[in-house]
Amino acid sequence: MNDGAKQDPPSLDEFSKRLDAARGAGNEKENSRRTGSVALGRAMRVGSELLAALIVGALLGWGLDTAFHSRPWFLLVGILFGFAAGVMNVNRAFKESSDETQKDQASAGGN
Amino acid sequence: MIDAAFRSFQAAGPMEQFEILPIVELTFGGLDISFTNSALWMTIGVGLIVAFFYAATRRRTLIPGRTQSIAEILHEFVANLVRDTIGHDGKKFFPYVFTLFIFILVANYVGLLPSIPGAPHELHTFTTTSHIIVTFALAMVTITIVLIYGFAKNGLKFLKLFAPSGLPIWLMPILVPIEIISFLSRPISLGVRLFANMLAGHIILKLFAGFVIALLGAGGFASVLAIAPFLGSVAIFLLEFLVAALQAYVFAILTCIYLSDAAHAAEH
Repeated sequence: MNDGAKQDPPSLDEFSKRLDAARGAGNEKENSRRTGSVALGRAMRVGSELLAALIVGALLGWGLDTAFHSRPWFLLVGILFGFAAGVMNVNRAFKESSDETQKDQASAGGN
Repeated sequence: MIDAAFRSFQAAGPMEQFEILPIVELTFGGLDISFTNSALWMTIGVGLIVAFFYAATRRRTLIPGRTQSIAEILHEFVANLVRDTIGHDGKKFFPYVFTLFIFILVANYVGLLPSIPGAPHELHTFTTTSHIIVTFALAMVTITIVLIYGFAKNGLKFLKLFAPSGLPIWLMPILVPIEIISFLSRPISLGVRLFANMLAGHIILKLFAGFVIALLGAGGFASVLAIAPFLGSVAIFLLEFLVAALQAYVFAILTCIYLSDAAHAAEH
């Protein structure tokens, strides 16, 4: 920071304007590239979200069964609930991603 | 000499790269706390991060040089991520998310480095994030922060996360367990995703590379066929190069989303 101030640049505002202009030129391409890899990241979430909830549901059911000696009833219920939770996770992941895409597009338009 | 190289390559199975080997044996009260190859590569990763950011921030100039530029881009990227997902409450979590992101990113990339030929097995390249205990520990840190911050900020209203207001009472017994399972699945999906991606990628890389060696070793026409798995392993490596960054990003953004849930639980 200090080095720049010593040289007494013409004006910081002017410089930041020029910087913004230079950045704006490559903005379009950069944005589309970013959304591409971001979308891939979101897609990778979906499978594991579903599976993880199913595993947790089954494990909880199995644990309750062991505690109450009621095998296999809690396990069955747990798998059902786990699957429901997994579907909800996936649904949520999609909702978040569509919200973000809208935000991205809005900010891209604003630039 | 080439024969010896072939033998040493073939000797290593695809799972051998994940073996934990002690470098300095240490015990503490009956516990094995040896300095292992996993610890070594975490240390190397952290060392690289510290060295890079020291170099990047040593000469702070208004018009950044190359290293400073990279550091600034990384900073800006994570800062935007935190701001966009958590909102204005997010600033205090920036150090955590940034540390997490950079650590996972560097750990993933360091694991892609080739091993030094002829180095003892303990010193071969090791991907720390291909062990579930590492990724799960990171996930548990995130969830612990979410729980503590959630209860500290919202009090018992944090539990509204499991029972959104406006929910009819007869739906409670169905929806509350589902929400609880959904919450409990977060650290598991967070940890398992990173671990599984790194593990699978490295196994496939090793298998393809093993095919190349085996075909070359067979001689004759089979050696010509070695080009196919060779090109395959190049392609897989490029994919892994992308996955390494992507998984670090996914881990960071999910941490942000969970923190944002904790910050805004009372509003549900």
